Amino acid sequence: MNRNWLRAWLWPRKGNLGRWAYTMQRVSGVGVSFYFLAHIIETGNVVGGLSMWSIPAYDVAKNSWNNTVDFLRNPLFDFGLVVIGFLLTFHTSNGLRLFFSEFGYGIGKPARPDYPYRPRSQNMLQDLIIWLSAILAAGAAVYALNILFG
Amino acid sequence: MLLHYLSGIGILVSGAVHLALVFFFGSYQENISFDNSVFSVIAVYRNFAFALTLELLLIFVAFHAFNGLRVILIELYQGKKWEMSVNWILTAIAAFLVIYGTRTVLLARLI
Repeated sequence: MNRNWLRAWLWPRKGNLGRWAYTMQRVSGVGVSFYFLAHIIETGNVVGGLSMWSIPAYDVAKNSWNNTVDFLRNPLFDFGLVVIGFLLTFHTSNGLRLFFSEFGYGIGKPARPDYPYRPRSQNMLQDLIIWLSAILAAGAAVYALNILFG
Repeated sequence: MLLHYLSGIGILVSGAVHLALVFFFGSYQENISFDNSVFSVIAVYRNFAFALTLELLLIFVAFHAFNGLRVILIELYQGKKWEMSVNWILTAIAAFLVIYGTRTVLLARLI
């Protein structure tokens, strides 16, 4: 294993925009994965959590969920949700770009490499969608800020 | 990797329904309450179509997230033992999450 693997992975020196999108796609994916883990545990409390293994009484379930919501309602977790909103929107939008690239749309046609050997797959459209993803993600963060702190 | 892309599209659709139910119909605070509104927590689980959407979202995200983590970990280091460990441990965690989430959906419908 390369000893500098984390730095090499997270910090693309001399990287172009597509290389940054690659890093962001992975960072956002890992971030949202951890949120998914927490979200499944959190919503398990709708039916009383891990300690409950039969159909809970209505009031028991309601109490369990209300306690969970009260516990999570603080600025730290709310700000976490804003970050997750940003990461999820970027991952979705950039992921759609990757979906179309995977099936050959928007990356140009294969041709003889000529000077200055610019890769046709890394074109204006790709850069535009990456920037658009960042803008949409920022918009989602503002939306989340407005709902949770507004 | 085809399954990774297809589950991504699945998340796009079922996740859109999930987020719309939380954010775009009625107020957010009412929608995350237990039973205060039309789209509150228990009402969504009791609707068969919404519960099915949540179940599909659960399966798609569990696959997509843990396959993504698997790809990152296997790219990091190569070896038969490492690859098998990563595959089995991540599959076990994903399976636990699907089972636990499915339990939530089923029990919430029976309350």
